[in-house]
Amino acid sequence: MASAQVLSHQPNLTRNNPGELNDKDFSVNNIGPDLQHLLRRISATPADFLDDPKMHGRGDLAVAALVHDTLRQTGHQATAEQLQRFTGSHAEKDHNRLRLVALAIWVLNDDWFKSTLHDADALLSLLDLAMQQLADVSTATKYINDSERREEFARFLLARLDYRPAGESITQATDRLSALSTTERNRLLQESREAEARARAIREALAKQAAAESADKWTRE
Amino acid sequence: MNPYLDPERYPTLSEDGARMLKFLREHPQAPIYRNSSGNKLTSEDLNLLADYERKLNNSRVDWNDRQLPHWLNTFVDNVYRDVPFYRSQGQVPQFSGITPVTRADFSRDITAFVPDSVPLDRMINFQTTGTSGNPLLLPSHPRIAATYLCFHRRALRRFGIELSHGPDNVGVVLVGYQRRCFTYISVTPQLGESGLAKINLHTDDWGKPSDREAYLDALNAEIYTGDPLSLSALKNLPLSTRPKALISVGMMLSDGLRTELESHFNAPVLDIYSLNESGPVAVFDQALGGHLLLQPELYVEILDTEGKPVSPGQRGEITLTGGFNFCLPLLRYRTGDFASLAYSPEGPLLKGLSGRSPVRFRTQGGDWVNNIDITHALKSLPLAQFGLHQNADGSLCLSLAPVSMHYAPACLSALASVFGNQLINVKSIEKEDKIMQYTSNLKGGTLQ
Repeated sequence: MASAQVLSHQPNLTRNNPGELNDKDFSVNNIGPDLQHLLRRISATPADFLDDPKMHGRGDLAVAALVHDTLRQTGHQATAEQLQRFTGSHAEKDHNRLRLVALAIWVLNDDWFKSTLHDADALLSLLDLAMQQLADVSTATKYINDSERREEFARFLLARLDYRPAGESITQATDRLSALSTTERNRLLQESREAEARARAIREALAKQAAAESADKWTRE
Repeated sequence: MNPYLDPERYPTLSEDGARMLKFLREHPQAPIYRNSSGNKLTSEDLNLLADYERKLNNSRVDWNDRQLPHWLNTFVDNVYRDVPFYRSQGQVPQFSGITPVTRADFSRDITAFVPDSVPLDRMINFQTTGTSGNPLLLPSHPRIAATYLCFHRRALRRFGIELSHGPDNVGVVLVGYQRRCFTYISVTPQLGESGLAKINLHTDDWGKPSDREAYLDALNAEIYTGDPLSLSALKNLPLSTRPKALISVGMMLSDGLRTELESHFNAPVLDIYSLNESGPVAVFDQALGGHLLLQPELYVEILDTEGKPVSPGQRGEITLTGGFNFCLPLLRYRTGDFASLAYSPEGPLLKGLSGRSPVRFRTQGGDWVNNIDITHALKSLPLAQFGLHQNADGSLCLSLAPVSMHYAPACLSALASVFGNQLINVKSIEKEDKIMQYTSNLKGGTLQ
């Protein structure tokens, strides 16, 4: 896919664990917009952008069309192949990712981005692979409603385009994004540990002799 | 110390209830009870069950093809919040966008389908093998097991039958007919500790064969439950007592066998479509021409092979959402059984219910006939169990339960209306369990 080809100029995208970012994942060399402005914009995401993405004839929001229009603003005519990733093929797997793409497009439609961004390849990479990374970690709803995730989304978006919030040094911006990512990673790890313990407890409960002995039903299927 | 007072198996057992247990176990003609079980119901459980049944008695299945159940959205939201399998998927999609699950999903990791809010200290399991032969432990709870009775009573009331209360009365005998069978005694606290016995009619479980009729006459149970095989075996015993009704679950009950059982026992036979995953789903009603749904909080869809709802009246896979098993809430669970959905003044109906995936058979003339046609051709015969298989070369083999082998000529005659003079081999079903009723190795024979 063309969106994969544009990675050649991007930093390393691989991650070992969901939610984990390292300093090879992003850079923040350029000064971007005011962070609070971005956070307010994310909080004010119109409901239309949060509709269910159109997949297999269901859903209302045509995410591929949004991507097409966004790329056109940079003077790039997206190919059908480039848009393929934004039509969704798997109801569960793609639902959250496509909602995040829609959220990113809402943010990118801000005047600052519109006047600054002209690199279609970078945009495509952001909407495709970067949103997949975020989708692995949390839901679009949480990126909007939870203050830490909202900040992570805003900073991540900027960093993937090599920008940092106005008024911050490179070190400050890098440290803050890493911290936000680490918090989420730790939460996921904790959840994962708890889930494993719960699954083990259920298996043990089911395996007990008393459980196998069961209880009275008037019929046995 | 009364040995029957067992607070773990019978937390609320009275002296009268213990006397019933003693009667069931120590009767001179009693079978060998090979296992132990109990209702495991506490006083709090019984209060909750009474509340549940009161609410149930004032409810009906009120959804239809234009109106989703009023409880559906709340249920889905709860499942997506509380059940790990769904929570990991993130945002709650529209109901129609939820990918259905199958028994294979449960088999991969049943723990992911158990809500986090369910305490595990009183968890029990029901083992199911389905027709694939792969055992699966389904999580349950004593109160869930006891809830079955609420729906049996609901079904029985449609036939004008009310169950008696009290420890002087045996409410139900669950009849099995297998070489090995889980057998035990208990009492049903919701019915004032009426007796419950789960027995195996196989002669290996009895001192002598005639003990079976002597014991069952002594019990004089109000209800017998079993599958078509075990109820056929029951019919062959020279019983002098008669139940109020019989309940058949677990396998397809033919019209012919139902008629024969009803005539023999002079009592209605309720054909209940019931699954370990969901409990009793529907009861057959001759006048309505289908299985009437029983659970107001169980939504039934009919889906095609791609998981999309079929047009109204079309056949497809029965898919369940909701149910009363709070240890295993079902969300678009594909049952592997097939029917179409119709609507009657009494509520939604499953029509043409058949187990497992549709199969079609090729005639000598090259025409295809649906497995439903086979069901229709054989429906008047009182077969305890049958299956039809078509080999890759087009040859056919009819399998019959040993007890039904003497109907082989009548079966072949009935099938001639479908297959003409095509040769059909007949064999006896050896394994005492569910079988895949319709199978085909012929190209194009399996419809999915």
